Amino acid sequence: MGAITTLKKELLSYAVSPVSWVIAVLFYLVRGFELDGIARSFAVFKADPNQFPSATYGAGSTFYMVLLVPGILTMRCFAEERRTGSIETLMTAPIRDLEVVLGKWLAATIFFAVLWLPSVLVLHVLEYGPFFGADISFGPVLSAYLGMFLLSGLLLSFGCFASSLTENVLLAAILTMLFTGLLTQASTILAQYLGDWRNEYYGRELLSKLDVYGNFSSWFARGLIDTSQVVFYLGGIGFFLFLTWTSLTSRRQA
Amino acid sequence: MIRVSELTKRFGPTVAVDQVSFEVDRGEVVGFLGPNGAGKTTTIRVLAGYHPATAGAAEVAGFDVRTHSLEVRRNIGYLPQEVPIYPDLRVVEYLRYRAELKGVHARARSGAVSRAMAKAGIEDVARKLVGHVSHGYRQRVGLADALVANPQILILDEPTSGLDPNQRRRIKQVVRDLADEHTVLFSSHILGEVQDVSSRIIVIHRGTVRADGPPDDLVSQNARAWLRVRARCPADRLRDAVAVLPGVVADTFEVSGEDVCSLRCQVEPGAAPTAQLGDRLQADAIAVHELAVERPTLEEYFYSITDGQDQRVEEQQEGAA
Repeated sequence: MGAITTLKKELLSYAVSPVSWVIAVLFYLVRGFELDGIARSFAVFKADPNQFPSATYGAGSTFYMVLLVPGILTMRCFAEERRTGSIETLMTAPIRDLEVVLGKWLAATIFFAVLWLPSVLVLHVLEYGPFFGADISFGPVLSAYLGMFLLSGLLLSFGCFASSLTENVLLAAILTMLFTGLLTQASTILAQYLGDWRNEYYGRELLSKLDVYGNFSSWFARGLIDTSQVVFYLGGIGFFLFLTWTSLTSRRQA
Repeated sequence: MIRVSELTKRFGPTVAVDQVSFEVDRGEVVGFLGPNGAGKTTTIRVLAGYHPATAGAAEVAGFDVRTHSLEVRRNIGYLPQEVPIYPDLRVVEYLRYRAELKGVHARARSGAVSRAMAKAGIEDVARKLVGHVSHGYRQRVGLADALVANPQILILDEPTSGLDPNQRRRIKQVVRDLADEHTVLFSSHILGEVQDVSSRIIVIHRGTVRADGPPDDLVSQNARAWLRVRARCPADRLRDAVAVLPGVVADTFEVSGEDVCSLRCQVEPGAAPTAQLGDRLQADAIAVHELAVERPTLEEYFYSITDGQDQRVEEQQEGAA
């Protein structure tokens, strides 16, 4: 119950925050220009319209959304509460710390999903005759969005954790962006240190599980949902939410 | 309603609260006094469930703050020292959110918010953004937040801090009115307002309780008063007349004047030498121009048991060394 109340309040805060609107406007603007460019090139080269959704995944706005936005959305979660002192009123209310963590993370995840929503609608518009008139298969589109939802959930849970570590919102945002950068490069970086072990079974498995973009393009973007991938992301989300809860609880001692 | 027993709170090597014990009964309005850094806020935060205690026990509304923190938080309304509120919400939205968080039923929420706003006197800013209201109003929004779930116990940490005299007066009146329905523990270092509002005070200094009782009793029973006499007679004669009185502190005599002389000296708590001295001077046919006992103020008492006591202990230790 406390989580739902926190969720509603956080969603309201996102809705009235100028930062959210700036993110949304910038994303829709850049995305709009990119989609226009991709659609034009598809028309010129008479490419298969069914390939259109997968062509949009590599667009710059996707990286902008994945790399920058989770940090910006979650930077205020706890850091701002701690900076202004409102954490005291929050933590002396009859609500469990875990409910606060869940409410805040869920609000960030829902808001992030809402930001993506218009880009799905755009794909649907392309099915109309005056545009492509193509019968776009929405199975792979939805699984791609599930992948994006899981990845963003993981990044936002780390964002919540980073925000719980500091009073400085900027530092929280930068930590999350660094984590996102590391996660996307983790497979490449780790491979350099694994030596011959990277060719062994467990080495290969580890590197393939950590290869975020590789997994996205070979599984989710192709309409395939690998349960081990889902478990990896859900486990990561649970892990960072647990760390956030631990950080919040331990701060009561200080 | 509140029972604190040998409560200790340490932050690393710093002992913020050291074996503090006190009780607050149902319907009492208790002032929690102490200089800055005395341990008031830390004690209050332990009671509000924000900090766990290092040692000792505390019960609020019959629940242990360590093992039943949620139940404790359900039964208190807490106003922190600095009222930190979300600036991007309207006052009424903030209070609705807080009411929901505190478990006020959806149907009762509007009524609860209206009542809390009326008690705190903030109906006129209900639609304003919290970030746009003045400090005084923000303090009252915090008070409305503490009241919104109609808790049995109110814990207010320096509710008048940073307010102008009119706003302080208003908050004092609100606290007085709340005494009819709630048990109130409120901290302050403004002695006058504590004396005005509370039936009992607890003085804490350097993490320990230095006094606990009704303010007037504490002052009259524990602090020395000043005897002031002005009479037409030689100074030596007046001094001799006063020196034999019971309860007079001999080494505090201050004598001035020649023809009509004045004498001022301290008398022990509870001593009432004026009648005896008056009779004596009258019997000696000395014209008395003035004869009075100046009771110490709460401020003087407060000083005597906080910094004054520390100073005396330091002087004694230096003397012994």
